[in-house]
Amino acid sequence: MKTLIILSHPTVDESSSQQFLMHSLPEDENITVHVLEQTYPDGVIDVEKEQALLLEYDRVLFQFPFYWYSSPPLLKKWQDEVLTDHFAFGYRGNKLNGKEFGLVLVIGLPEKEYQTGGQEGFSISELTKPYQAMARKTGMTYLKPLTIFQFPYLTEKEKMSLLVDYQQYVSLKHPVSLKRKEAWILDQLKNTSRETLPTEGTLFILEAVSEAIEDNRMELDELSLHIDNYDV
Amino acid sequence: MEDKQWLMNQLEKLFEESRDYKQKALLQATKELLQEQEKRREQLQGELDGTLWSPGNWNK
Repeated sequence: MKTLIILSHPTVDESSSQQFLMHSLPEDENITVHVLEQTYPDGVIDVEKEQALLLEYDRVLFQFPFYWYSSPPLLKKWQDEVLTDHFAFGYRGNKLNGKEFGLVLVIGLPEKEYQTGGQEGFSISELTKPYQAMARKTGMTYLKPLTIFQFPYLTEKEKMSLLVDYQQYVSLKHPVSLKRKEAWILDQLKNTSRETLPTEGTLFILEAVSEAIEDNRMELDELSLHIDNYDV
Repeated sequence: MEDKQWLMNQLEKLFEESRDYKQKALLQATKELLQEQEKRREQLQGELDGTLWSPGNWNK
């Protein structure tokens, strides 16, 4: 699966959250980060090139800081100019049909404020309706967004969890399940560099861990099977 | 149970000694995954026990 991350931020080099996310991604030819402000510093978008780019990917993500319940201006301009009639919608406008679409939102306030009675009064699901409508109109499957609240206040442990959540958001097949996360972790453990780990016993431990994950899965499947048999 | 704790401790040790940030994140996620599996196992085991003891199933 190929994922295109369309990133918009007026000063991406100075954003610690965006830098963190960019550095979280693995070296993978199936993942492309496309920073609009860097590609088009003068704001003039090459529409044909952008449309051709979209065709190459299965999953398209918009990644941006949530400004006034929307994106920075260049991403809106990109939407206006690239998602045209006969390409993204309308007569023979089915080029995005069947792709997946998701949002990676960096948000300044805590999550609890995004609900009725909270400081913002509306949920993220309500505030992102225009993106949901865009996905619907263009025939893309809308994924649950990855929301990052108050990045500067995250603990080191939370940042590491975010790193893995982000990697999985970009690469895990939809719909996400524990089973798919297990397969993902097993694959990562197999490929993780041994050079940055202690030499003694590492291989044995990593193998024991992988075995434990697989054994647990077998046990979980077996238990589910027993329950299903009674569940008539 | 002892095996599980041993494995967790070993993972924690690898986490401490790893010299790569992304790798540390992976090792932390691995620990959390094992904990989640354990939680689900307990839940399913509980559900199965409940089902076995439910009078509705005694005739089967």
